Parts: sequence; C-alpha cells; structure tokens
Amino acid sequence: MILLILLLIPFISGLAVAFFKGTQAARTFAVASAILNLVITIFVLVNPVSEGYSAEWIGFMNIQFNLATDGISLVMILLTNLLFPFVILAGWGRSQRNVPMLNSLILLTQAALNGVFMAQNAFLFYVFWELALIPVYFILLVWGGDDRKSITLRFFIYTLAGSLFLLFGIIYLYQLTPGSHTTDFSAFNQLQIPEQTQTWLFWILFVAFAIKMPVFPFHTWQPPTYKMASTQGAMILAGVMTKMGIYGALRFLFPIVPLGVQFWQPVVIILGLIGVIYASVIAFKHTNLKTMIAYSSMAHISLMAAAMFVANEYAVKGLLFQVMSHGITIAALFYLACLVKEKTGSTEFHQLGGLKNKAPIFAILFLIAVLGSIALPLTAGFVGEFLMIAGLFQQSFWYALFGGLTMILGAIYMLYAYQRVMLGGQKPVFEKVTDLNRLDYIILIPLLVLIIGLGVFPQPVFDMIKIAGSALTMAH
Amino acid sequence: MSAFIFTVVLGIIVLYLGFSKNKSILSPISAGGLVVSLVLSLKDWGHQSKYFHDMILIDNFSIAFNVSMIIITILIFLFALDYYETMENHVAELYALMIFGLTGTFLMTSFSNLIMLFLGIEILSIPLYILAGGKKYSYRSNEASFKYFIMGSFATAIFLFGIALVYGASATFYLPEIKTFIAQFNGHLPPMLLVGLLFIVIGVAFKIAAAPFHFWSPDVYEGAPTLVTAFMATVVKTAGFAAFYRLLGIGLLPLPVQIEKALWVMTFLTLLIGNLGALRQSNFKRLLAYSAIAHSGFLMLAVLSQHESSASVLLYYTFVYSLATIPLFIIFILAKRASDGLEEILIFRGLYKEKSWIAIFAIINLMSLAGIPPTSGFMAKYQVLFLAINKGILLTSIFAIVMAIIGVYYYFFVIREIFTERGQTTTKMEVTKLNAALIIICSIGVLATGIFMWQIPI
Repeated sequence: MILLILLLIPFISGLAVAFFKGTQAARTFAVASAILNLVITIFVLVNPVSEGYSAEWIGFMNIQFNLATDGISLVMILLTNLLFPFVILAGWGRSQRNVPMLNSLILLTQAALNGVFMAQNAFLFYVFWELALIPVYFILLVWGGDDRKSITLRFFIYTLAGSLFLLFGIIYLYQLTPGSHTTDFSAFNQLQIPEQTQTWLFWILFVAFAIKMPVFPFHTWQPPTYKMASTQGAMILAGVMTKMGIYGALRFLFPIVPLGVQFWQPVVIILGLIGVIYASVIAFKHTNLKTMIAYSSMAHISLMAAAMFVANEYAVKGLLFQVMSHGITIAALFYLACLVKEKTGSTEFHQLGGLKNKAPIFAILFLIAVLGSIALPLTAGFVGEFLMIAGLFQQSFWYALFGGLTMILGAIYMLYAYQRVMLGGQKPVFEKVTDLNRLDYIILIPLLVLIIGLGVFPQPVFDMIKIAGSALTMAH
Repeated sequence: MSAFIFTVVLGIIVLYLGFSKNKSILSPISAGGLVVSLVLSLKDWGHQSKYFHDMILIDNFSIAFNVSMIIITILIFLFALDYYETMENHVAELYALMIFGLTGTFLMTSFSNLIMLFLGIEILSIPLYILAGGKKYSYRSNEASFKYFIMGSFATAIFLFGIALVYGASATFYLPEIKTFIAQFNGHLPPMLLVGLLFIVIGVAFKIAAAPFHFWSPDVYEGAPTLVTAFMATVVKTAGFAAFYRLLGIGLLPLPVQIEKALWVMTFLTLLIGNLGALRQSNFKRLLAYSAIAHSGFLMLAVLSQHESSASVLLYYTFVYSLATIPLFIIFILAKRASDGLEEILIFRGLYKEKSWIAIFAIINLMSLAGIPPTSGFMAKYQVLFLAINKGILLTSIFAIVMAIIGVYYYFFVIREIFTERGQTTTKMEVTKLNAALIIICSIGVLATGIFMWQIPI
C-alpha cells in the first residue's frame, strides 16, 4: 500500500497544482509534496516492505496493476525522490511562464518515474515508461531554450521509436507465456526462449534502453536536447531519465534473454567503451559548457553500460552505486551550468572566463561538482567508477584499460572546462556578476554534501543494493 | 430489425420537418430519435435473427457495430447544431441524408448475401455524394462531390462486376454457400471466381480508402463540409471495416492464398502511403484524411491476422478512433472560425495561450491518434499488434511499428503548432456550451476507454 502512496502523492498533487493560481503557492505546494515523498521513500528504505501492491486492471488481457520493489528499484526510487525536491526548488525565484503547469508536469514526471521503477508488470512498466516521456516533452517544448521546437520533436520521436520496439518485444513475450497470457515479469522470467530467438529479441528490447541511456551510436538526440533544456528539464533528463535505460536493461535483458545477453555481451561492451572514448574526445573539443556536460554524462553512462554487461559482482555493485552518484553529480553540474548561463548570458566557452574573481564561492562549489564528476577519490564518483573498472578488469585487461580512460579523459576535459569558465582574466562584460544567493546554497550544498558523503562512507548504498546484487547473480 | 425500420422512419420524419422554419429543432429530434434506435438495437442483443430469406443476419457483431455507429452519429448531430447554425438555410435534408446513410451502414454490418452488401454500400454512398457537395457555392465542395461520385460509381461498377462473376461461378449470392463452394477447390480456385472475389474486395477497399484505392479520400475530405468529413472519417470508416470483416469472416475465411497476398500488399501500401502522405500536408483536413488511411492500414492488419478476437479489436479500434476524431474536427472548426476560414495546420498556432483547456483536450486526442499511452489509441494499437504477433506476423508488425513512429511525427507537428506563439492577434475563439461539452465528453471517453480497456466478445 505504501508503494501506491509513493506513486499517488506526486500524481495527485501534480494534478492539483495545475489548478493553482498563484506562482509561489504552486511552487511551495510542489516542493512540499516532493519532500513528503522523499520522507516516505526513506521510511520505506528503513522499514523494507516485503509485500507490494496488486490490483486487477485489464481483465480480459490478464494485466494486473502490480507494484513491488527490490534492491535495484529501491536505488532508483531513492534517486528519483531525492532529486525531485531539488529540481522543483531550482525553479524558485526565477521568472518562468505558467508556473503551476510547469510544476504540475514535473510532479507528473516524478509519479511516472516512480511507477516505472516499481512496476512488476511489463505492460504497466511500458505505460509508465511512456507516461514519463510525455510531461518531459512538454517541459522541454514550452520551457526550453533556443530552437526547442525541432530538437524536442527529434528527442521525442527518437525515444518513442525505441519504446515501440520495446512494445513489440513485450507483446512477443506476452504471447509466449503459457496458458491465459500474462505480462508479469515473474512469468517472463520463467520463459525458456530458444537461443536463436533470444539473439534478435535482445536488440528489439535493448534499443529502447540504449536510446534512453544513451549508448553509442544511439546518442545523437542527447547533446542538443540537454543544451536547450531548461535547468529543471536538464536535471530531470540527465539525473533520472537516463537511469530508466539502465533500470530497464537490468529488468528485461538479464532475466528474460540471458542467452541473448551472452551472445551480444562483447558487442555491447565494446560499443560502451567506444562511447566512453568518443564522448570524452568530443567533450574535450566542445566549445559549449552544457553540451560538454552532456557528452561527459554520455561518457559516464557508456562506462556504466559496459559494466552492466560485464555483470560480475564488482561491476554490478559499482553500477548501482554509480547510478546514485552520477544522478546527483550530473544534476548538480547542470544546475551550476544553468547558473553560469543566468549570470553571464552564455555557456559558450569563448565568451566565459574569470568568473572566479566575481563569484569565488560559486567557483569553489563548481570545482567540487567537477571533481565529483571526474571521480576523484573521496567523492562518490570514485567509488562507483573504481568498482566498475575492477569489474571490467576481471573480464578482460583491455576492457579495463579503455574503461579506465574515462577517469583520465574526464579529468582532462572537466578541468579544462573549469579553467575556461572560472579562471583566467575576467571578461569586462561580467562586471555585474554576483555570487550565489541563498536558494543556490539550499540546492547545491545538500547535493555536494551527498557527493562527498557517499564518497567517504558509501556503505548505506551498498546495504541497499545487497539484495539486488544477489538477484542479478542468480539470473546468471 | 425494429431499430432499422425506426431509423428509416426517423429519416423521413426529419426530412418533412424541413417545412418547419425552426431549424434548431432538427438536431435534438434527430439525436433523440437515434437514442431510441440505440435502445432498440440493444434490445436485440444476444438474439440472432434472420430476415428477408436469410439475406440479413442480425447478430451480436452487427448490433455492436451499429450501436457504436449510432453513438458516433449522435455526437456528430450534436455538433451539427452549432455547425449549421451559421452555415446553411435548408438543413433538414442534410440530417435526413445522414440518417439514410446510417441505415445503409446497418445493412453493411448485417448482410449475409452479396446483394445486401451492395445495397448497403449504395444506400450509404449516394447520400454521401450529395452531402460532400453540401456547400453549393464552393468549388472545392463541388469538386469533392463530383470526384467522389465518379470514383465511387466506378468502384461500385467493379464491385458489381465482381458479384456477377462470383455468381457466374457459384450460382449463389449467399456468403455461407459461397464459402462451401470455395472450400471444395482446396485452394485452386477457378479464375472466374478468383477475379470475382478480387473485384469484390476492391470495391470494399475503395470504401475504406485502402491504398491503392485511396486517391479520392484526401480531396473529398478536404472539399466536403467539415461535418460530412467527420461523418466519413468515423461512421463510414467503421461501416466499411465491419463490412470488410463480415465479408471475409462469413464468406472467405480461410482466405484463398491469392486474395490474401493481394490484401497483404494493400495493407503494406496503405500503411506506407497513409503515413508518408500525411508528412507533407499543411491542410488539417487532408492531414486527417491521410491519418485515416494510415489507421486503415492498422485495421487491415487486425482483419488479416484472422484471430478469433479480430472483430472485437476492430470494434474497439474504430470506436476509439472515431471518438478521438470528432473532437478534433470540432476544435478545427472553432479554430477555423477564429482565423477567417483558413484550413491550414497553422490555425492551431497559439491555441495553448488562448484557450489552454481546449489545447489540452486537443493534445489528448492527437496523442490518442498517435497511439501514446494511456490513451485508448495506444490500447487499440496494442491489441492489433498483439493479434498480429500472436499469429506470427512479425515483420509486418515491425513495419507497422516503424510507420506508427512516422505517424507520431505528424500528429506532434500539430501539437508543436499549438504551443507556437502566434504573431498577430486574431478574432477570439468562441466555444458554445454544447461544443465544449462534446469536446470534454469525447476526450474523457478517449482517456477512460484507454485506462479501462474493454473487449466485447462478438
């Protein structure tokens, strides 16, 4: 029941907030709802519920409304509900159009994401998966930056294309289930699919997740979308929605088409490693801060994809830990990038420089986020990436070598970017730049504390994913 | 049968009501009369009955489709109240013609004899030829009417020729007898019979605007008065598919290989041409015409799957498709009035800013047509894909999915326009209470039938 509440709070408050008239009232209400959800999430973590929620939905197709959690979904739910209060706060004090509708869409996204991570039924999963996309599409379309019309449409078509193939896969699996068919994951997991079928079914299912993550070469929607996204849109997209891809792959591929995974494992790992290097090189060459962060995110996600398909204990633990830390770090980074845009009016490197002189504290916090992203020891990024590379090493020396490049290359492009934004001679146009205000502290300090805190003391997350790790190894 | 007779009488009554000067009573009387037909139809549920020497067979299949079409026609008539308010002086005959057309569709859902199918198609088509030319002083409307008439007659001739050939081969018009006649050949049909069947299928394919017999549909949709376009896109399409399914289901299943091949080619072309054609449209009615063709492709996929629940899926699909199309036509008319009679997609510009609640309902319906959960359009596509995949039709399903992705593009093109800022200020959009209610009811219906998906076993 409590899982249903977790889903309903953002859903109902999201619908309610659309009818608010006042700007500040809508924002306050939205934040309150998101914080309440976070509290309940923590309560669920502390007192794990064994039983889920189940109800009849579509009788004649034998589709149930099933919610439950396991270790993997708990990590995802925690990340989602942790980030959303900050996402909503990121809109405070800024002039935005139609604030009630914006906050309504954000909360509906949160509800859909919670649904994705709790659904125990593939059909339900798919419905939530698409539902999460729709509000985000409108957030980007209405509140996005320049050239948003064509970019959002490309983003939408791209992700939807992947999803429809996933739908094909779900229906295919559905009609394979014995008796009166069902779309329950538990029934899917018990299917014995011939190897021949698994090899093509793997790609039908994987394309949706590969686009969402994104894995090279399915990434072309991502950089322009991140670049034009509003602060909040970028935080949702990069922080949580990329994790949907990882979650989906863990949920679908390993238990249902294990032979397909085995067959394509080297290909996907190599695609992931190509992605690491490709994205890092482009990030280094790129002249725009937000696009640079987008490519850096892609580099990290590519490593996560590679680690996922290595699928030994280290790699999976590292992966799930990195889900958490990458989500927090990238959200903080995008918030900072948008602050840069707000303060200077640009995110092009050649127009930036010397911000440190006018905004020293901003520079320090930016540095911490950057260090978190390049996986410096004692930040959360290090723990995850170290474990994933250790996992890659167990599989092959070469995997680890190229995977390890993400840390080195990451350090190069991130610090280079930091240098071009914050250091150097101060541009005369930046006379009026001010340092952070109170709201920025409220958003950034908790996120940065988490980045460092989890780096120093990662055990709580590992406790949480212990169940998940064993579940995955069982699938092998 | 009582529903059938009542509807014919209702048409005649409405025709004579034209002598009264008060034209605002026509819509309530027509709609109210149809409610009675609805009740009368529902009374027959569960009883199978035959009439006219077994030429008509009324069973749950025909009742379900009739009820669905009556509901949609009632919605169209309620919309007509406002639509004809400003447009026409003599509207009684237009209502009457639509009601007569509706009786034709009743025959199309309940025939078990080829003559009855022919009669049904003609009773539906002839009013439509007149209705398409409803705007007497518009070139486009006249063109639509004439084109529809010429092409329609041609298709009818081919259809009739097909019936004659089949009769020549089998010496019967009765579909069950034709079925046993076909069965005795074990797949090696004599050429005369084969050509006859092919011609019959072509005649029906023309009615449902399946490629390559779709050329009339964009022009006619564009030229005809919007209300008639709405009627054609919803009721006529439903009737066409009901007839198509019944023809195949009673008469031809299992399909002869050659006919099946031809139908697969048609499905393929319909999906391709419908979706690719819609991409380049700037006129909203033409866009909906091509979208209707694209949906025909999906419906044909459902028919050709030859699954035991194909009929239920057809019913669901056509009903929710109609339910989503009608509010779009209403919103289109409202936007058209607010922009001096333009019919481009551009007229939706700034809709979100001006009337955000209408914009939201428009988006819900467009998303349903595009097939995005949790709207009923998605559930309909899901069921069709399930039928096809369950029968092992994998590659065509993937092709249909690719085409659905293209479909999303042009529907979302309209959504994009809704959110685009409008340059100059234009006349304010005015919505009557009845239209608002219609839009809301249909949109909620679209959502509700999606979230609580149903299937009536027929």
